[in-house]
Amino acid sequence: MTDQPFALGRDQLLDAYRTMKTIREFEERLHADVARGDIPGFVHLYAGEEAAATAIMLHLGEKDRIASTHRGHGHCIAKGVDVKEMMGEIRGKATGACKGKGGSMHIADLSKGMMGANGILGAGAPLACGAALAAKRRGDGGVAISFVGDGASNQGMFLESLNLAAVWNLPVVFVVENNGYAESTAVEWAVACDSYVDRASGFGMPGVTVDGTDFFAVHEAAGEVIARAREGGGPSLLECKMYRFYGHFEGDAQTYRAEGEVENLRENHDCIKIFRAAVTGAGAVGAADLDTIDAEALALVNEAVEHATAAPMPGPEDLETDVYISYA
Amino acid sequence: MRVGLVANPFSARDIRRVIANAASLQVTDRANIVLRVLACLGACGVSEVLAMPERAGIRAHVERGIERARNTGDERFAALRHLEFPVTGTVEDTRRAVRAMVAEGVAAIVVLGGDGTHRAVAMDCGPTPIACVSTGTNNAFPDHREPTVTGLATGLAVTGRIPPGIAYAPNKRLVVSINGAEPHPALVDVALVAERVVGARALWRPESLRELYVTFADPSVIGLSAIAGFLDPVGRREPEGVMVELEPSARDGSAGDGAASAGSPPVRVDVPIAPGWLRTIGVRSWGRLPPGSPRTPRLRAGMIALDGEREVGFGEDDEVRIVLEPDAVRTVDVEACMDYAARNGLFRVDEADEPRTAAAFAGTPRT
Repeated sequence: MTDQPFALGRDQLLDAYRTMKTIREFEERLHADVARGDIPGFVHLYAGEEAAATAIMLHLGEKDRIASTHRGHGHCIAKGVDVKEMMGEIRGKATGACKGKGGSMHIADLSKGMMGANGILGAGAPLACGAALAAKRRGDGGVAISFVGDGASNQGMFLESLNLAAVWNLPVVFVVENNGYAESTAVEWAVACDSYVDRASGFGMPGVTVDGTDFFAVHEAAGEVIARAREGGGPSLLECKMYRFYGHFEGDAQTYRAEGEVENLRENHDCIKIFRAAVTGAGAVGAADLDTIDAEALALVNEAVEHATAAPMPGPEDLETDVYISYA
Repeated sequence: MRVGLVANPFSARDIRRVIANAASLQVTDRANIVLRVLACLGACGVSEVLAMPERAGIRAHVERGIERARNTGDERFAALRHLEFPVTGTVEDTRRAVRAMVAEGVAAIVVLGGDGTHRAVAMDCGPTPIACVSTGTNNAFPDHREPTVTGLATGLAVTGRIPPGIAYAPNKRLVVSINGAEPHPALVDVALVAERVVGARALWRPESLRELYVTFADPSVIGLSAIAGFLDPVGRREPEGVMVELEPSARDGSAGDGAASAGSPPVRVDVPIAPGWLRTIGVRSWGRLPPGSPRTPRLRAGMIALDGEREVGFGEDDEVRIVLEPDAVRTVDVEACMDYAARNGLFRVDEADEPRTAAAFAGTPRT
């Protein structure tokens, strides 16, 4: 055992930072583009929550599946979905990840194990159970992650999924991304059992709460619950307490926020700032290396926007394609 | 007579639920504990309990329980008043509440939590005694005891039925200072680990442990302090602590001779560092830690865990000092209180006492 300051090596730390920064630039660009009227449909931004998706996905491989939420851009990027295809999809272009037919809330890339963002709250949980059951039947050691927000965690299908996962001992992890608000309703007004750990206990599975703004806290805890699931230890629930920098959706007036709340979050609870300070402070990574990644992430997003802008819309001939899939 | 109440809704939520099947006391259970304590304090004649505000559910369940009892004519609970300040959901709520309680002159503070919660209370309570109720994970500092008994002992103590010299006991603490800045206290243990992240806070991987300092070393508790407890038991009331230098790569060696000495072979001990989580710990040396004698760690850079949770980092340029302080924190000595109360007849009921009043234990000591 050497006295390494981090469980991750330098290259892994840089990769993690690149993922978080790419998500941030992606969301900041969308925020601006929505305001300009460049984006059709609803958009829910993941800015401020990047550490959770990034840290969790570092423990996953190609055989692992995730089921995302309406706030799914971060999950997509962290799971390896092509940024250009995502930007194209959000703009409804034929080059999009789903050929422009899904939009922000229905980005999927099964080749990456990304089963889809989901416009139906809580609907990812039973999908994750299905993927976990398949992995269990195949015996390939795959796991499934169900992301859900604090609001959607009250949905019946989410609770049913907890039950199913416990009864069938499925290799699934339920990640509750608790950003404090179900749309505009503060979590303490809307969750009867008060603690997600208590909720997990009610279904006979362990739960753990971590600071979702701390990449390393999420990475440690996720490593344990994912390894447990992969080895046959059964399902777990991981609550990540986090903050979103923007409204529930783009255009949300956010009248439920306290004055100065977002400014305080950006100043004192920015997961990327926290990560950057930790790794540079310990001398594991130089600030110049991170600055380079900053520029590269911005360039990647700009390139994705240019690519998507230039891409064609789906034609009338595409109307009835990809509606059904044959499993034969 | 006022008593403070700090009930932490967030203790026992960490990763040890997953890796060690640790207990997970539900919010409703915590609320029921509060109600049991309030009933006992009310029975002893405590007029008011000042509680820390929180939004994680305990307050709502407690107030619901009091209302339901009141609807049935049950007035046994001591009057409850929550302090008024914006809730942050962090340890700052505990510290702010304790300062407010002390300012209002509470006679004692009942604490529901683990070692970390008690540590936070002890940072601001000064000479005000703490009554400890364990709702955390490893919980070396608070005894494992039915809160009803703790509530009774506290009520009897603060209403003057138990002599203070019997009711309250002194406790040691460790104080860590970095470059002379604001000190970081610990009630049970200070652990130095090689990694540089707070991470999931709790410590469960022995590989990263390098040094351990404990206020007491009780082999009948679990957690990091049990490492010292299994090597060299030292009681809470004894003046010294214990320090242990860990050797993660230690192979099998001869059994320890009970004394630290340079060059003694590393030994390995199996220790439950979390509930049901026995791990083999390599130990390079260990020895007694005298009070008032500052120590400088060997580890040059890493993270300092206070009472089992990683809290603060230090680097090679930082000057770290660790010192054991005697008589630092007063706690309600529940066993002593109950023993005194029983031997002096404080629980006996005479016909002359009927009908029972709220202050059921009003009798003067009977010998």
